[in-house]
Amino acid sequence: MLEVDVRGFSCPVPLMRTKKALEGDPAEIRVLVDSGTAKANAVNLLKDSSYDVAVDETPDGWTIVGKKA
Amino acid sequence: MSGKRLVGPSAWIFGAAGAFIGVVAAWLVSQGNPGNMGLCIACFLRDTVGFFGGAKANMGAVAYVRPEIIGLVLGAAAASFATKEFRPRGGSSTLLRFVLGFIFMTSALIFLGCTVRAWLRLGGGDLNALWGVLGIVVGVSIGALFLKGGYNLGRAKHLPAPAAWLGVALAVALLALALASASGTAPNGFTVTKAKAFATGTTPPAVFLKGAGGKPAAVLKPEGAALAPDGSIVGADGAVVASAEAVAKAKPQPGGKRAPLAIALVAGLVLGVVAQRSRFCSIGGIRDVVLVRRFDLLFGVIGLLVGAFVANVALGQFSMGFENQPVAHTDALGNFAAMAVAGLAAVMLGGCPFRQVIMSGEGDVDAFAAVLGMMAGAFVAHWQGIASSPKGLSPLGWPALGVMAAVLVAIALIKRERTA
Repeated sequence: MLEVDVRGFSCPVPLMRTKKALEGDPAEIRVLVDSGTAKANAVNLLKDSSYDVAVDETPDGWTIVGKKA
Repeated sequence: MSGKRLVGPSAWIFGAAGAFIGVVAAWLVSQGNPGNMGLCIACFLRDTVGFFGGAKANMGAVAYVRPEIIGLVLGAAAASFATKEFRPRGGSSTLLRFVLGFIFMTSALIFLGCTVRAWLRLGGGDLNALWGVLGIVVGVSIGALFLKGGYNLGRAKHLPAPAAWLGVALAVALLALALASASGTAPNGFTVTKAKAFATGTTPPAVFLKGAGGKPAAVLKPEGAALAPDGSIVGADGAVVASAEAVAKAKPQPGGKRAPLAIALVAGLVLGVVAQRSRFCSIGGIRDVVLVRRFDLLFGVIGLLVGAFVANVALGQFSMGFENQPVAHTDALGNFAAMAVAGLAAVMLGGCPFRQVIMSGEGDVDAFAAVLGMMAGAFVAHWQGIASSPKGLSPLGWPALGVMAAVLVAIALIKRERTA
C-alpha cells in the first residue's frame, strides 16, 4: 500500500504531499498525520477524490486509510 | 470512477465559520471595539504588548490587555482537549517562526491591521483595504511558489506534555492582569489607555476625555495642560498645544476603545472554539487555490467578508470610501506592499496569525513562538517608530518592508528541501 508520512509538517505540506501521492491513482493509500488540521485536510481530499476513508488513532497521531470507492 | 471535486462539503463549514466570525467582529465594534477592529490579531496582540511597554515604547495610546486574545487561546485549548487534538508538539524551526511572526506583525502594523482585519476593513467599507487584500493575494502567491519549490520548515516532533501548556499559561497570566486592571486603571508599572480617550493629530498629541455633548472635559496630556475658553488646549507654559480645530478633529485612541471585558472574553472563547473546530484561516484559502486548486478554504474569507458587510450594514456601521476610515491610512502602495510582506510571512508560517494563536492553544510550541515573535515585533515597531499612523507610513516604513522582504526570501532559500 502506498504510504505518505506527513507527520510534523505545517500546512499546506500534508495536503500537497497527499495530493501528489494521489496523482498515481493508487487503489489504496495510507496517510500518517499528527495534527487535527492535517487529518481533516487529508480526509477531505481523499473523500473528494472518491476514496472510502477510515481513520485510526495512534499514539502519535492518526493513520488515515483510503480505498478507492 | 475518479471524480475529483474542486469544492467539497467542507466549503460550507469554512463559509459558515467565516461568516460567524465576521458577524461577531462587527458586533464587537458596536460593543465598543475600535472601528473595523472587532477582531484583529495583530492589533490585539500589539495592545496587549502596550500594557507592558506603555508610553516609553510609544504605546500609550495602544495599551490594553485584549480579552479576545485570552478567550481565543482558552477556547481553542478547550475545543482541542475535547477532541483529543491537544498535543504537545514543536521543534520545526522554532526560532525562524519567531522571526516570521516578528516580520508578520511589523508589516501588519505598517498596513494597520492583520490579514483578518484586512477583510473586516473591506467589509466595513474601507476601500484602502482593497490594496491590502490585493497585497495578500500577491504575497500568498509568492509563498505558494516557494512551497512548490520545496520550501518547508521541517518536521515538528512530539514534545513532553508540559510544553503543550505554554499558550494556556500565557493566556491565564494575561487573564489575571486583565482582571487586575478591570477598573480601567493599570497596576503599578503597567499601562492601560484611558477608556474613550481622544488624541489630537498634533506633535506631541494632546490627549483628553470627552464629557457630555462630546465637548472635551478633562485634559490628560501633556502634563499640566488645560482647556482654554476658545476650545484649544494650552500647556502649563501658556503655549497652545492643540488648536480648537485640532481638538475638534481629535480621534479616539484605539487602546481606549473596547467592548466590556466579559463580552470580549466570552466572544473570544466562542470564536476560539469555532476557529479550532473549523480550522478557519485568513490566508490559507488563497494559498490552497493557487497551490493545490482546492477552493473550500477560500469560502472562509468570503464568509468573513460577507458576514462583516451584512452585520455592519445592519448595525449602521458601514461607511464606504477611502478617506477618514477608522485606524487606516490612504497610502495605496504602502497598504499593498505591507500586506504582500505579511501574506508571504503568513504562508511561510503555515497559517495566518489567527491560526497561530489558535494552534498555540492546541499545544503547538512552534505556533507559540510565532505569537511571541509577533508580540516582540509589535514592541519594536512602536518603540522604533516603524508602525504607521492614520497620517500614513513612517519614514522607516519602506526601509523596514524592504529589509523584511529580503529576510523572507533568504529564509525561503535556506529552508528549501530538494525532493525528487
